[in-house]
Amino acid sequence: MVKKKKSLQEIEAVTEPIAIEEATAVNSLKASLEAIKEYDGVIGYILRNTTSASIDLKDPTKIIDYAILSSSALDAGKVLSELFDLGDASNIVVNGKSIKMVSLIVGETKVSVFMDRSADSEKVLRRLHEI
Amino acid sequence: MDTEVYSFALKNALIEIQNICPDIKNAFMFREDGEIVAVDADTPENTVVRVINAFDGVFEKADALGGVESITLDSSKGRVSASCMNDLYLVTVTTKKADMNYVNTVTRVLIPTVLKLIEKISPAPLKNNLSEPEMKPETPMERKSEEVARAYAGETVTKEPREPVQTDTKPEAVLPEPPVNQFIVENIGGLLVPSDTVRVDNEILSQWNELYPDRKINDVEIETFGGKSARCKIKPIKGSKYEDKGLIQMPDKIQSTLEIKKGELVRVKPIVE
Repeated sequence: MVKKKKSLQEIEAVTEPIAIEEATAVNSLKASLEAIKEYDGVIGYILRNTTSASIDLKDPTKIIDYAILSSSALDAGKVLSELFDLGDASNIVVNGKSIKMVSLIVGETKVSVFMDRSADSEKVLRRLHEI
Repeated sequence: MDTEVYSFALKNALIEIQNICPDIKNAFMFREDGEIVAVDADTPENTVVRVINAFDGVFEKADALGGVESITLDSSKGRVSASCMNDLYLVTVTTKKADMNYVNTVTRVLIPTVLKLIEKISPAPLKNNLSEPEMKPETPMERKSEEVARAYAGETVTKEPREPVQTDTKPEAVLPEPPVNQFIVENIGGLLVPSDTVRVDNEILSQWNELYPDRKINDVEIETFGGKSARCKIKPIKGSKYEDKGLIQMPDKIQSTLEIKKGELVRVKPIVE
């Protein structure tokens, strides 16, 4: 009697750990921000999640003000969305008389991009929403 | 023309704007210092107060952007837009399907026209008139503690409270709101270092003492940007190496409690008792 050999071929379920997926998303975001930084009029960005933060601004003396502004704007966006039942906040744009700030939350990461008033914020938003 | 009429005129303008643009769900106007100028018929006044409080943090740091001209929030079901017009902010809440070009055209023509008209009829300034006793809101609202904290966060200058103060309180008994300062965390170690005490520039302590000359400030409340907070004892920094650098020297135990480390930013507020 001839026994059939069991197939050695096994299918392994390939599942990437969540941490790796998050790291990939953050890296992708960082790469986009590096590209955005080269856009006309863009003066820097702040990227922040629960474990880390990246700040790249041409004028380092503004870091604290911009960080607070970014945080305040995103908090305000959340409050307003809840208050008026507007669903998920997509982005918040603060147009200053000299500088413009675009803030949004991508996954768990809070992003703010700072640019000159004349810069194309729509282009920046399009790029960030691609992620 | 008194302020009541002024507000009435603007309120009617807002209602008319909503009639022209039904996609505007809410519309109201306020000054940057928080005074409500006009509210449409559908928006509760406490909602307006919460919106103003939400914008407070942005306005406080608006100098970094050269001052705020407009703020726009895009959400999945609609949009909130705040535009500065003649020192007033007009806030509109619109549905997702609203034609923003049309809305902006109407609001940016109608409101400035009404403002100019009012100004011509009566050049009496609106500024601060709404806070007079006879113009108190019909339903005064209490600010939540966390809203107050947010409103003063990141600011080193003390501001007057926005809501009307009860008239039975003696003015001299009202203490100014504690200022909130920001510092960068610096380590402090050694055998004789108390684990419940942080150290900041002596100049900051002097400023606080000047602000509250009759009070002794022994404790501070430290808040992180991650939302953690702790109460600690406060002492001046020793040694010129750490002075005038915006640092707060903090023992490991407190850093651990607040889940922060050297180099991170914290907000510090004196506790006045």
